[in-house]
Amino acid sequence: MGIYEVLVRDFPFLLKGLGVALILLAALLVIGFVLGLAMCLIQLYGPRTRLVQWPLIAYERVFRGIPIIIMLFIFYYGLAGLLDITSFAAAILALGFRSAAYQSQIFRSAFQSVPTGQMTAARAMGMSKTRAIRYILFPQAMRYAIGPWTNEFSSEIKETSLAYVIGVVELTRQAHYIISSTQGNVLIVFAVVALMYFIVNKSGNSLLYGLERKLAVPGFGKR
Amino acid sequence: MTDTAILQVENIRKRFGDAEVLKGISFSLNRGETKVVVGPSGSGKSTLLRCINRLTSPDSGKVLLAEEEVKEANIDSIRSRMGFVFQDFNLFAHLTVLDNIRICQTKVKGVAHDEATQRAYHELERVGLSDRGGAYPAELSGGQQQRVSIARALAMDPVVMLFDEPTSALDPELTGEVVKVMQQLAEEGMTMVVVTHEMSFARQAADEVIFMEGGHIVEQGAPDLLFSRASNERTRAFLNVIAENG
Repeated sequence: MGIYEVLVRDFPFLLKGLGVALILLAALLVIGFVLGLAMCLIQLYGPRTRLVQWPLIAYERVFRGIPIIIMLFIFYYGLAGLLDITSFAAAILALGFRSAAYQSQIFRSAFQSVPTGQMTAARAMGMSKTRAIRYILFPQAMRYAIGPWTNEFSSEIKETSLAYVIGVVELTRQAHYIISSTQGNVLIVFAVVALMYFIVNKSGNSLLYGLERKLAVPGFGKR
Repeated sequence: MTDTAILQVENIRKRFGDAEVLKGISFSLNRGETKVVVGPSGSGKSTLLRCINRLTSPDSGKVLLAEEEVKEANIDSIRSRMGFVFQDFNLFAHLTVLDNIRICQTKVKGVAHDEATQRAYHELERVGLSDRGGAYPAELSGGQQQRVSIARALAMDPVVMLFDEPTSALDPELTGEVVKVMQQLAEEGMTMVVVTHEMSFARQAADEVIFMEGGHIVEQGAPDLLFSRASNERTRAFLNVIAENG
């Protein structure tokens, strides 16, 4: 049986691996979005006390300063003693928590790009700070954030392949299974897998660019 | 203090670091009155205006709106009754003109969407921009933006309107349209405090002109009195310079 027949026969496994990678991607991006936005809002508009701000700074430094493979090992093997955690869950948490650190930076700079007069004007009309953030700052900040966020999306789809090292059966590991079972054909199998990552990446980017165009408002910089 | 005073400012002081910007300012405003505050740059005019609605908190002194003391605790409710017009407009950049005027009605006062829309169109008509409801701020000229920001403030049904140098960021040929709107408001009986260098507006629309310098009120009085024979030398000098350049 030639490698092409094997690829055709085993393609469903690659698709399954891609599915796992996409679920991992979606989960880590959601965790990163929610936590990252929360951290950014506390950093910018929360209490200025050290008790609140220092742990956030420490979090950011730690998750941006440690290689993700080490982080995956710590979450999988380290937490395994405390919690009954699957490798998939460990990967979601490790990648999601790290993404939160990066996304909080994206959102922080986006909120800081909104001119201060916008908040002042909202407050001057009697809007509470929370509502001003919700209705005036957030929609503007998201328009600034969407470009850098597209970048984060691109990084993370690629980073999902690192979940391989703790045994998550995602796309890269499925590819490795095919290579092991057919003794070789590294180049052709990984080429197919590379193409699959590339297509997902490209489609995701196109969707995000589309969203950016849809949200475009005169006066906000366009790329 | 009369029983018709709608806004009372009592002995406001404000210090930024070493500089005392406001050194005890008091005045009051009756319903329907227009007061124009003039004075050289750095005399504390804008700070005074911002202390009235606490965009800057005063160090001491009191402000009363319709006999209710302005405090941190009631500030949102007070501000919803005090229109504020900024030098640089500060229209919400992501919203259309219509939404700019609607959003605080619906999100602050809880006005229903349709009612807010009607009110928005009414105010746009008042400032002569009823055909620009769908435009975004960036698509308007400075003068148009400022008129929208006036409409946005009016839609909140303010008891008093505060104007912080509303024409200072505009090209000279655009100040006229904004001044006209303000004059019309004054004639309609809106209660207003206006910080401005537009002496023509002061002369025509002000019930009283307040001349400030160095954190003090130097002199105040009816515009024709102040413009023709200011008793204070500083006031005369300032008004002369303005008259020559304006």
